[in-house]
Amino acid sequence: MLILSRRAGESITIGEDIVVTVVSVGGNHIRLGISAPREVRVLRDEIVQAIKDENHAAANAADDPRRLADVVKQLRDKASERSGS
Amino acid sequence: MLSNSCETKPVSVAVVKPSANAALAGRLLGREVNFPAGLLGFPDCRRFALASLDVGTEQPSPFFVLSCRDREVSFLVIHPDLLVQNYCLPLPNEVLGRLGIGSECQVLPLLIVTARERIKAITVNLQGPLAIGIDSGIGVQLVVEEYPLRYPLIVK
Repeated sequence: MLILSRRAGESITIGEDIVVTVVSVGGNHIRLGISAPREVRVLRDEIVQAIKDENHAAANAADDPRRLADVVKQLRDKASERSGS
Repeated sequence: MLSNSCETKPVSVAVVKPSANAALAGRLLGREVNFPAGLLGFPDCRRFALASLDVGTEQPSPFFVLSCRDREVSFLVIHPDLLVQNYCLPLPNEVLGRLGIGSECQVLPLLIVTARERIKAITVNLQGPLAIGIDSGIGVQLVVEEYPLRYPLIVK
């Protein structure tokens, strides 16, 4: 990993058109400004990681049709309960 | 609050109200669906097939199965309309471009279901929805930070 030291107000450029600026530094908190083309997704890493983990947890959920039949039945019961109330 | 935040997006951000296209899933059945970037955590899963899930119950199941053709993995998915009201997918023009379509009406949104040991603990991922272009057969997994990662499938 490339490690650079920057002060508040200083920036780094990534590729042709992505600029990351240190807006402010305070305690253990840094505010970053990111300027990137609209097609570049900029996301908090923990959110991406959480979705990756969730995808892994979700993989192959359809492999147990018998159990899913129970799930479908419970969903139906719930729906009719609601429409009945 | 969420639907408001969707409605107040700039003009370039189109918002899908999926109730209009719930039936469109049928048009994708049996066709190959391509996720050029894979799914998050599954970058090598690019080619998929969407199938209805028949679990042998009297009524049809609300689920679909998205099976990867590149490796042995599949995902149980559900249309957001069957789960929540006013779920809206932010679809800026660059996402429509990636999906190879011109209008948000041609997008099928799907949510991935995470199975848990207890049926009542099963959750649906509202934060990482799939958006699939109906005509293009191209899909992408979006990230919508405002929505929960784990929304209960069976609401108390």
